[in-house]
Amino acid sequence: MPSLRDLERDVARALLGEADGAVLASILGDGLSPAARLGVYRNHVFSTLTDALEATYPVVCRLVDPRFFAYAVDRYIRACPPAGPCLFEYGESLPEFLAAFPPCRHLQYLPDVARLEWAINRALHAEDAEPLDPTRLRGLSPDGAARLALRLHPSASFLESRWPVDRVWRANQPGADPDGIVDLDAGGVRLEVRRLGDDVVFRSLAAATYAFRSALAAGGDLERAVEAAQAAGPEFDLTQTLRELLDDGLVVGSSAPRSRMGATDAN
Amino acid sequence: MTEAEGRVRTSAGIGLRSPHVAEVMATRPAVAFLEVHAENYMGGGPALAALDRLRHDYPLSLHGVGLSLGGADALDARHLARFKRLVDRVEPELVSEHLAWSVAEGAYFNHLLPLPYDEASLDAVCGRVARVQEALGRAILLENPSRYLRFAHSPIPEPEFLAELAHRTGCGLLLDVNNVYVTCRNFDEDPEAYLDALEVAGIGEIHLAGHAENEADGRRILIDDHGSAVADPVWRLYTRALERFGPVPTLVEWDTRLPALAVLLDEAAKARRLLEAAGRRERDAVAA
Repeated sequence: MPSLRDLERDVARALLGEADGAVLASILGDGLSPAARLGVYRNHVFSTLTDALEATYPVVCRLVDPRFFAYAVDRYIRACPPAGPCLFEYGESLPEFLAAFPPCRHLQYLPDVARLEWAINRALHAEDAEPLDPTRLRGLSPDGAARLALRLHPSASFLESRWPVDRVWRANQPGADPDGIVDLDAGGVRLEVRRLGDDVVFRSLAAATYAFRSALAAGGDLERAVEAAQAAGPEFDLTQTLRELLDDGLVVGSSAPRSRMGATDAN
Repeated sequence: MTEAEGRVRTSAGIGLRSPHVAEVMATRPAVAFLEVHAENYMGGGPALAALDRLRHDYPLSLHGVGLSLGGADALDARHLARFKRLVDRVEPELVSEHLAWSVAEGAYFNHLLPLPYDEASLDAVCGRVARVQEALGRAILLENPSRYLRFAHSPIPEPEFLAELAHRTGCGLLLDVNNVYVTCRNFDEDPEAYLDALEVAGIGEIHLAGHAENEADGRRILIDDHGSAVADPVWRLYTRALERFGPVPTLVEWDTRLPALAVLLDEAAKARRLLEAAGRRERDAVAA
């Protein structure tokens, strides 16, 4: 008789795997085969997770056809089952999975469309945070400002693609022109995705602004963000860019310049 | 019993699902309480904002589906902390979870999986329920699951297992009448005998929902899919439960093939009429 831990582990492996293995010996048939009884649970697990992924990735599902989507996410669920109990947090690694999934490798733009859908999902469910009061940044020395790290709103993320994934996304929304054609060679995009009020919005940014904001989002200090922005566009204006960032309500906290005593949180 | 307590006990609520939130916000239908799945409100944004507003107009019931209280793996401390944060924030009248497990070796199944009922699992579940109640600073209700398989070694009948769990931990029970019906039918057991085996005290809430009837290898199997109206035999079993347990706050759940809100409200109204009748019977019995 297996311990509770071993039994649950065996059920779990049987649910995700192809073979039911030793666990069948622990299950009563009750007029059915033990495998059929386990199959009821497997069907539930896969249909719940497939529905959740379809809700997060509706455009990907539409682009590849729902039947192929179901096939692909069946493979994905087995390879990458959820790591937590909140369904809205499941599926972050689907874009990478699709990029490496041989049957859709020819759809080169697909992983980036998936990344955009994940960014939208993430923005919708991100924690709430109040914008930073800009007056809190007054009085910083130039040296101190350079080493300032700004914490951006948890809903904000940045996505660069060589494909016009924003147009692909819009063309696949309910009510979009069914005859609309997206020219995949129309050029790439640099997108900022965030929540604004109750809505998720995204827009394309100029190269320098994108470099600046995405460097901050990655945890870089102001100096590093400025370097990234200047490398991306020579006409970068720090004062104006910083003001726009604050006006957009995207800064929710700042870490004071690091000293030997370590960082202190200003908000 | 005061009049106010009587109203709460003879009340019916609905499970609130995201496609209905806007309509509930706009029309504020007359239901006694709203129940939501805790795991859908552990981020921020419009979902949580709506819940913050609705909780001022409705008593809330917070129904967890992911604590895996029947699991052998260590309790997920991060998840428990998020659960507690949500409880502290929305101050629900009722907090409930399931007699089931959903995670093993770090993989979450987002489904309520069955466990064998023996002394070892009773000890394990009691320990977890106690830890959760300690973390939350309140008693929780534990729901009987719907089951599609039985383990070869599972010597304790489910109602006894639940009664013992309640006795040892002080938790209450969330009696899902549809789950009783589905489970008993799937194993040729008597659902009324299941109700009779439960102790009368400590039933803090009742759930009602629809189920589907599938066929596997020529045998009918009931699936608890929450995808239709409550079935007639389940209404009859519910009436039987009210006779035994008296009026208990009752929730109608509907998750798949979600109907118009009005259909769900009609189901809740039907439950409320049965609750009110049970309340009258109880008062007559006291008066007699």
